[in-house]
Amino acid sequence: MPKFTKELVDDLAKKLLIGLSEEENQMVLDEFAIIDENLRKVEDFPNIKEVTPMTHALDDFSFTLREDVATPSIPIEDALRNCDSKEGREVEVPKVVGGEN
Amino acid sequence: MDKTIEELHELLINKKITSKELVEEALKKSHEVEEKYNAFVTILDDAKETEVTDNLLSGIPFGIKDNYSTKDILSTGSSNTLKDYVPFFNATAVQKLLDAGAIPVNKTAMDEFGMGGTGTTCHTGIVKNPWDSTRMTAGSSAGSACAVAAGVYPYALGSDTGDSIRKPAAYCGIVGYKPTYGMISRYGLFPFASSLDHCGVLCRSVKDAAIVVDAMKGIDEHDMTSWDSRDIHLYESIDGNVKGMKLCYIKELCDSKNYPNASEELKSHLKNFMEKIELCKSLGMTVDEVSIDEKLLNALPSVYVAISCAEATSNMSNLTGIIFGPRGNGKNYEEMMMDHRTKGFSPLIKRRFVIGSYILQKENQERYFKNAGRVRRMLVDAWKKLYETYDAVILPVSSGPAKHLDSDKDMLTKDTAVLEEHLQIGNFGGFPSITIPDGFVSDLPVALNITGNCYNDSKVLNIAYALESAMDYKNQIAKEVK
Repeated sequence: MPKFTKELVDDLAKKLLIGLSEEENQMVLDEFAIIDENLRKVEDFPNIKEVTPMTHALDDFSFTLREDVATPSIPIEDALRNCDSKEGREVEVPKVVGGEN
Repeated sequence: MDKTIEELHELLINKKITSKELVEEALKKSHEVEEKYNAFVTILDDAKETEVTDNLLSGIPFGIKDNYSTKDILSTGSSNTLKDYVPFFNATAVQKLLDAGAIPVNKTAMDEFGMGGTGTTCHTGIVKNPWDSTRMTAGSSAGSACAVAAGVYPYALGSDTGDSIRKPAAYCGIVGYKPTYGMISRYGLFPFASSLDHCGVLCRSVKDAAIVVDAMKGIDEHDMTSWDSRDIHLYESIDGNVKGMKLCYIKELCDSKNYPNASEELKSHLKNFMEKIELCKSLGMTVDEVSIDEKLLNALPSVYVAISCAEATSNMSNLTGIIFGPRGNGKNYEEMMMDHRTKGFSPLIKRRFVIGSYILQKENQERYFKNAGRVRRMLVDAWKKLYETYDAVILPVSSGPAKHLDSDKDMLTKDTAVLEEHLQIGNFGGFPSITIPDGFVSDLPVALNITGNCYNDSKVLNIAYALESAMDYKNQIAKEVK
């Protein structure tokens, strides 16, 4: 497992498309050190590996899938109303294939 | 606006006041509260009265936390990444209140996307506590708590992923209630950590909490985690009869001997809480002290951060500024997204995304994400074990009254007391949980919390109602002490 370092923090931030200042990077390291310490202690809990991780708030969580019936989609105008850059019915972005030109 | 929903309804029905007058008063107060405490993202100056019907909520103004989608009304989640975002639909909970004839008059400021607990990370600035403007409201439902406590209206919507309704309610001297997970649809609520997110209400009395949640709840085809609660009638089930009910409190959290460096405020808070335990007994309830493994409790804050950060990282990956949100600068889409996210998110959010991402890396999942889920299971099982014997767990909220604004920057520190974070267990297990004011320390309100087993909302509200009725803090409006 790679050590949680300043470089790793920067790499993760880059993958998340987030820029971090030096100060923010250090805050991540400081906060994570506490989480790491506490979760390492968890590994010493007796039989911890036999516990099934809880992923939902309700134990009796159940749901029924809706009928597979087509319903009207939202109007394109509504879908695009919060888009800063659009052309007609499409979102406008820089060219993503074939290089930058 | 200093009255309960029942009282306002009575006045409306008897034509002693009009809905128009209430709206005008709520808007006037909104501007005053905004000026003094910075509680709102948007004030809806064009809000109009509604017809008064038999519905208790008709004709009465309310507030909406800014992470609820509101059709044609700015909904920012208090984030610069959505500073101009205007939804084209209403969240189900909001729509149900509109259908009841309730009138939204403002959108309340919050910690960005609900990811803070201080009320200091809103993109519109810090929300101040109406009891003492040098203190926090707590968060994330900061503006809702502030506005209800200041008497803008009888209730406002909140959301609660860790304690985001129940802690600000405590700091502002009001009631904060999150029902069982899924009782209220989350459709249209900006997601933070989906397995922990709850909708709920901040108000000034237990009956008001019941009235509002009765109106908001119900199964919703747009939220597959919602469930059918048509047989649950919260308001009607409140009768104050708690004789024979059994409560417990956790020794490790409530015994002042566990805090060798306790402040005077903490000592007073715990002493006050123990007096309320005696009050419970005088009302005919039995109350036992029980113990929970301290190691398990101590893991709580880190487990919460691990789970919530991991879920948030995933949930908020759609905030790119491409399809919605302010478009970032850059010569390709990646640079645009990076510019949007770097400028848009506060340092707290960025930090938590990075931690969440690390935890979710394949090689780290076992040690962090899965172990956090295991501890979540163990804590929930421990509470469910208590519910085999007890009707509810009663505990003090936080370590005293509202903290000073310069004292806590939402950083998880080594000395983070479990006392500050224990309400998160209510989110881990989806338990119904209500905070009510239970006294004053340093002239500021303090509170206790009652949490019961899933689906036992009526029982939890009844206990809270009985206690509220035996104390003097029902429907209190903030009196500025500083």
